[in-house]
Amino acid sequence: MGYITIKDLNFSYNRKQNVLNNINVEINKGDWVAVLGHNGSGKSTLAKALVGLIEPQSGTITIDGLELTEESAYDIRKKIGIVFQNPDNQFVGVTVRDDIAFGMENLQVAREEMIERILFYADKVQMKNFLDKEPSQLSGGQKQRVAIAGILAMKTDIIIFDEATSMLDPSAREELMSYIKSLHDEGLTIIMITHDINEALLADKLLILKEGEVFAQDDSRKLMRHKHLFVESHLELPVALDVANELKDKKYDLIKETLWAYVSMK
Amino acid sequence: MKGIVIGQYVPGKGFFYRVDPRTKIVAVLFLMIGTFLLNDIYQVIGALLLTFILLVIGKISFIKVMKGLKPILILLIFTFVFQILLNKEGALVLDSNLNISLINIAFVIGLFIVWRLLAKFKKFNFLLFIAFIVGSIFLFANVTISGDYLFTSFNFRIYEKGIEMSIFVVLRLLIIITLSTILTLTTKPTDLTQGLESLLRPLKKIGFNSDDFALIISISLRYIPTIFDEANKIMQAQASRGADFSEGKLKDKLKQVISLLIPMFIIAFMRSEELADAMGSRNFIPGKPRTRLHILEYSYRDVLVSMFTVAFFTIALLLRINVLGY
Repeated sequence: MGYITIKDLNFSYNRKQNVLNNINVEINKGDWVAVLGHNGSGKSTLAKALVGLIEPQSGTITIDGLELTEESAYDIRKKIGIVFQNPDNQFVGVTVRDDIAFGMENLQVAREEMIERILFYADKVQMKNFLDKEPSQLSGGQKQRVAIAGILAMKTDIIIFDEATSMLDPSAREELMSYIKSLHDEGLTIIMITHDINEALLADKLLILKEGEVFAQDDSRKLMRHKHLFVESHLELPVALDVANELKDKKYDLIKETLWAYVSMK
Repeated sequence: MKGIVIGQYVPGKGFFYRVDPRTKIVAVLFLMIGTFLLNDIYQVIGALLLTFILLVIGKISFIKVMKGLKPILILLIFTFVFQILLNKEGALVLDSNLNISLINIAFVIGLFIVWRLLAKFKKFNFLLFIAFIVGSIFLFANVTISGDYLFTSFNFRIYEKGIEMSIFVVLRLLIIITLSTILTLTTKPTDLTQGLESLLRPLKKIGFNSDDFALIISISLRYIPTIFDEANKIMQAQASRGADFSEGKLKDKLKQVISLLIPMFIIAFMRSEELADAMGSRNFIPGKPRTRLHILEYSYRDVLVSMFTVAFFTIALLLRINVLGY
């Protein structure tokens, strides 16, 4: 049994058509999983289901041995946090300090402990000098970093990034990706929802959703070799990988060494 | 719209900045009631002097307080004029006949044109307005030309008590506004909310959740600049497609406002849904107890402010019920 186990999960908004259809996934502790899929494939719905924001019609989600139900959602959310797409719509506090504190206040963390954690995690995301700033004085990337600090301060060990980079400019996007990488290096379990294959390449494992179903899931290096999976899911492989795959068919296995190292470095 | 200031809070380090918001709210409330209990012009002048002393102690800029008066200037003028015109007690101070005649009206229209021509001197706008009103009354009262067609004439009388009462009422309003300005200038909106929440906590017994109330207010305050920003973007998007928000008939303007409001509402609802998800994912459950990062603490300053308030209120009450024999 994995650290996160999703079993026979079904969900629909209108009870007519399932947005999530018979999802079965296992994620181990410390994994970095990228969930790929085109618009409307059910990626964000899966993320919401994982944090208990929506209640599935059938199936179970188990996190660290605890089954997610309405009653257990409070305890499950101590382990799992989510960074949403729009940096503005998740900033609850009036200042950075207040926003980092929000989750801890809900978990009834003692004030002294809260102050310590705010300083520690604000420093970790390089926002220590911005503690008294209001959201209107911050850039999109900075707001996403504050959101990460707020989740880390709750001492969660799983973070979902629900297209968290999609509203950022290229440099902020690169910066956020390097944060995610460092969080993974520290042992956190990362679930990254994206439709950007370049970002997904950094993950250990890929989960491709298509029309609410798991279309493919495996080690990312293995999946990248199967171009047809991406084409059929209406996703586009990066040009470099595309070329590498073509060369491989002609017996030049670039993926194995050089190109993989290059892409991973990026 | 970035960096929009909510409320009138101006960062500073004066005495009142470090007074607990709960003390400030209660004190201002009681000082206002106390001011309303005063029923004599000398008492009100005394109270006004005390209010100025408070400004000096708090190192609050007099100009900033005066700026706070701007929105209610018209109210002050109306109160003053009505008191003067309607109060007919005491000795007669001024008795004059106002003649509304053809030539007089022409003169006043001329005066009006001069006033509007001088309107570019914005600094003296208020003084020019007063000059226009006084000038008009002077023209109606003193200019009589033979052969002029008289529409109507009436007596313009000012009584001693009228002047006294008009000054009394205006000074009382001035004190009340100055007091509330001290509160809003020296207290952050978030602290005000937290103070209110703390004061309303006893209402939990009748089912009013002050915690949620405070959170609603602080989230509203936090989202005002964001919503303004959004409105700006929508306006720009619509302007780029030919919409003009500044010109056109009233009907067109209304249509444009509606075309702005509908997307604003849709976006606001979408935002609120996402915000609710973000709050839920961070374990916010309405009504569930939470700890607080910011806690309110009383200090010696609160004792001083409370003592002053109690003293002022008691004296005002005693003066009102005439115990002091004044």
